[in-house]
Amino acid sequence: MTGNFTEDGAVAWRRADGTWARQIAEAGLFVDEPTAKAAATRAAAQEQREICDPYGIEVHAEGGAIDPLTARQRIRANGPTIRLRRPDGER
Amino acid sequence: MYQYDDYDRRIIVERAQQFRGQVARRLTGEITEEEFKPLRLQNGLYMQLHAYMLRVAIPYGLLSSTQVRKLAHIARTYDRGYGHLTTRQNIQYNWPKLTDVPAILDELASVEMHAVQTSGNCVRNITADHFAGIARDELEDPRPYCEILRQWSTFHPEFAHLPRKFKIAMTGAPGNDRAAVRFHDIGVRIVENAQGERGFEVLVGGGMGRTPLIGEVIREFLPKPHLLSYIESILRVYNLHGRRDNKYKARIKILVSALGIDEFRRRVDEDWEASRTPALELPDAEVARVSAFFAPPPYQVLPADDQVGVIQLGRDRVLGNWVSNNVDAHKVPGYSAVVISVKQPGIPPGDVSDTQLDAIADIADRYSFGHVVVTHTQNLVLPDVRTSELPRLHAELRALDLGEANANKITDVITCPGLDYCDLANARSIPLSLEIAARFDRVDYLNDVGDVSIKISGCINACGHHHVGNIGILGIDKRGEEFYQLMLGGSPGNDASIGKILGRALAQDEIVDAVEKVLDRYLEIRESPDERFLDAVRRVGFDPFKVAVYGSADPLDAGGD
Repeated sequence: MTGNFTEDGAVAWRRADGTWARQIAEAGLFVDEPTAKAAATRAAAQEQREICDPYGIEVHAEGGAIDPLTARQRIRANGPTIRLRRPDGER
Repeated sequence: MYQYDDYDRRIIVERAQQFRGQVARRLTGEITEEEFKPLRLQNGLYMQLHAYMLRVAIPYGLLSSTQVRKLAHIARTYDRGYGHLTTRQNIQYNWPKLTDVPAILDELASVEMHAVQTSGNCVRNITADHFAGIARDELEDPRPYCEILRQWSTFHPEFAHLPRKFKIAMTGAPGNDRAAVRFHDIGVRIVENAQGERGFEVLVGGGMGRTPLIGEVIREFLPKPHLLSYIESILRVYNLHGRRDNKYKARIKILVSALGIDEFRRRVDEDWEASRTPALELPDAEVARVSAFFAPPPYQVLPADDQVGVIQLGRDRVLGNWVSNNVDAHKVPGYSAVVISVKQPGIPPGDVSDTQLDAIADIADRYSFGHVVVTHTQNLVLPDVRTSELPRLHAELRALDLGEANANKITDVITCPGLDYCDLANARSIPLSLEIAARFDRVDYLNDVGDVSIKISGCINACGHHHVGNIGILGIDKRGEEFYQLMLGGSPGNDASIGKILGRALAQDEIVDAVEKVLDRYLEIRESPDERFLDAVRRVGFDPFKVAVYGSADPLDAGGD
């Protein structure tokens, strides 16, 4: 399950324990769609302060690696594919 | 340029204060994202793929050096060291934190800038010819009227919740439209009637997006005093009758198309006759007051051929090429308009760093009376440069990696942010643009091919103006993967046309090869080096290009037209 952090808009991934991470590698997995949808609905209601618009996505998971099935979600997980002026965002 | 009065200043400061409170309530969870979204959008704050995005309004693209320095400061302090010039003459920041946005809006307000109405279903930033006020082919400077429209449309209560967003563009050069007025909800051209009086030709219902349409003339000659009342009537008819049940059918172009221009005109005229009051008439004194802000700077009296140094241009091929491609004629003898290309190899089109912005502000002060203009082609213009200073200016721009000599050439690609940033996109745009820039970055080839516009959009919303590219590229999603449609024959100017799809969609690793094949075929078939790409396409049709790209002109092979 993914969304964006309210505070800075960064991509958020929901861990299995219900907390939110910034790396897809830490994401928890759902094995069926109804469970994922129910969790998204719960998160949208209960975690709305921290997270904007949570929703589930389809991924391929093997050997601990999580790979989204669409280009959009791969780019969300890994960041823009082009050079940034200041990639780290440090001030 | 226009200076805020107390009223302008107060409403912008108040809006920033209101948003500070709204952000605070969102951060505590007092309001949900659903409740916050319309509030943030009214202040130009989007949520994109990786972060928030703040779009800052630049009315008719005009900036003072003080404002440019502030934009640099914001990029450095609150973002990742760069801003992105947009296709509507604005600038956007791709990485602001919500917690910082109130401070950013305060910073903007301190230099008479803001982000209101850069999003949402309202009248957006008014755009104009980027050579407004200086072009030799201009009848009259449109910026005073753009500014009057800006003031009229800002926080206009009747038009705060239109069926859909609303874009207005204006040009004062009726013979050479550089503002794509035919592709706006309302396009305004300053014209002269048979009696020699100046007024406005008003077009309505143009646009790109999923239903590209060329605007139609709703009024051939509108006397100047009626500008606001007539545009208000157009907006009122749209506000009342535009569709709200389907966002894809909600733009004014759909209403105009459904009613037909004659019936739409009748309704507007009916409203206009009933609603126009003296209060909405533009008094000459008010036009003169606003026009005074756009008075020409203190030009020196110079000879027309103020020695750019024909000899020097001949000796220095790099300089000569830049002058040839990036310098335009100015109405004042001895001065030139300079296009600073923000299309540098390896850098996303339109991305400009904080250090570049600071340097551009200094350059504007020294060379161009402190003014810079953002173009809808994602470049910058120094409007008033002494021609004799071009060599020195070019050397300074080159030192900043801003000296590319590619204005209007195939590496001067208009590119939307695409799937690298944008939540709406289906495919990436920027990598294609960079690949095109790298593939064709050869001076002789650029000049041989001549003025060819390539425009790339990552989705059907067409922020990259692909419909009006001589070569347009549209990113589409095929089962979660990126594909691209190649279009030919678009033009945004006086010879407006909408490009058509050449054939089946191409994979990412095919599309730039296809562009090269199209260009090579053009070089083979053109009648002379003077025949532009667009004219060649119009003359021969698509078949030679289909054969070049798909190996056959057969629709079954090319995938249909």
